[in-house]
Order: sequence, then structure tokens, then C-alpha cells
Amino acid sequence: MRKITLNGLLISLALVLAFMERFIPLNLFVPLPGIKLGLANIVTMFALFYLGIPSAVTITLLRCLLASFLFGGMSSLLYSLAGAFLALVAMSLLKLGYPKFFSVIGISMGGAAAHNAGQILMASLMMRNTAVFAYLPILLFAGIVTGLLTAIVSANLFSIFEKTNFITKVWGK
Amino acid sequence: MRLKLKLGDVLVILGIVLTAFFILVSTYEKNTIEKTAVITQNNIVLDRIRLDRVSEPYTINYGGDYPGTITVENGSIRFSHAECPDQVCVDTGWITRPGQIAVCIPAGVIIKIEGQDPDLDIIVK
Repeated sequence: MRKITLNGLLISLALVLAFMERFIPLNLFVPLPGIKLGLANIVTMFALFYLGIPSAVTITLLRCLLASFLFGGMSSLLYSLAGAFLALVAMSLLKLGYPKFFSVIGISMGGAAAHNAGQILMASLMMRNTAVFAYLPILLFAGIVTGLLTAIVSANLFSIFEKTNFITKVWGK
Repeated sequence: MRLKLKLGDVLVILGIVLTAFFILVSTYEKNTIEKTAVITQNNIVLDRIRLDRVSEPYTINYGGDYPGTITVENGSIRFSHAECPDQVCVDTGWITRPGQIAVCIPAGVIIKIEGQDPDLDIIVK
């Protein structure tokens, strides 16, 4: 029961973050079209670190589905799924080397890069045109910065959770 | 404390930067006087425009689920209006150099500027 509740809460949190992000006028600070902060990835990272891969997959899948139904439009579903799942795969793999070889920074940046690559890959498949790859370098550079930002937020959150035993209290383990 | 940069992190950053540079180098095209904008929708060519020969600005409309308008000027081209939800295409603004692209993913429309083909120089006299 606790698990269902927690997963439900995290899905709504990811949705809210994905929605809020649309109102941050990032274009005013960095004039690059199509870049996002990727705040919803903080939730995916949390799920991956504390609840395991099945939870992370469920949360990501439902977040993408609901976000597309509510505000993205159906055309965005395939792109967000491609990005989110490639990011999830990359982060799960990088997490194998945590904390010895990779920190949250590398995992988050790798996730951001995989997310961008997934979306461009899907775009080139859908449009049957490889010209869109010309846009990937900008997204990759932006991903290093946004990946670092979400890593800082995640790392601080995680250390607060661990200091206050928040996870054990909620999770009941 | 968790935010200590590890060796693996540096390798991840290096990998991303190298990949980005590799794509940048392989898609780079020299700036040429002759510029052709190729507009495609779902890989069907809608129009080819010699941008260096445009004298008066004009617009081109395209249809589909998310219709929009492309504005052409001498040497540059842009999405000026689009019905798509994300507006990434309009935010891209003017593109002017060979190798540059502007894309509207929801509409499936790509504008790509192609430069002068160096091989053609020898054939065309």
C-alpha cells in the first residue's frame, strides 16, 4: 500500500515539475530553442536510487503518458518516451558504478545526454531525415549544464533525506 | 559530500563533449555565396529556394496537423508562425549559413540550408 501511495505521489510530483518547467522562460537567459531544465529527472533519479528500477520505469512511463494527455499533445508522446527511457537506461547503467566510479553528477549528465540523443533519434526516425542530428551538439552542451543543475538539487535532497531518515520513515524499511 | 566529482564523471563529460564535437565537425559546411534552402515535410520536398537570389521578402504556407508560415528574405529564412504546441521552430529564428537547420518536429517540417556543391563548380561552366 505504501509503495503504491509513494509511487503515485512521485508521479504527480514529476508531472507538476514537468508542467512548471514550461513557465520558466529559459529562452530569456539562454537563447537556444527547445532546451529544458529536466526537473522531472530529479524524481526519476530519486526513484532509481531509493525505490529500484521497476518503480523508476513505472513512474517514468506514467509521467510521460499523463504529461502528453494533459499538456504535451499526442505528437509529443513518442519523443518524450524515447528521451525518458534512453535516459533511464543510461542512468541505470551508470548507477552500477555508483558511488565508486560515478557520482550523481555523471549519472545525471549521462541521463541528460541520453535524453537528448533519444529525442533526436526519434525525430529523425519519425521524419525519416537525418538533418535533425545537426541540432544534437547544442542540446548535448546544454545537457551538461542542466544535468549539473539537477545533480546539485538531487544530491542535496538525497543528503537531507538521509540525515533525517526520511526514506526509512516513509518507506517503513 | 555526494557532489565530489569522480573519475567516471569526467569521462562522461568528456564523452559528451567529444560526441558533440564529432557531430559539429561532420555537419559543418563552409559559408558560400550560393545558398539553397530546402524545405521538406515528412521527407517530401516542398520547396527549394535560392536564398541569394531572393530580392523581395515573401512567405510560404505549409499544411498538415500543425500548419505554419515560413518567411524568406535575401540570404535568410525562418519559421515566422506555427500552430505547433512547443514553438521551438519559431524560437529558432533566422538561419543564414549552409549546414544550419530549423525544425518543427510536430509538423514534420525541416528547413535546411545547403551550400554550393564544390564538385559542381567543375562541371558547370
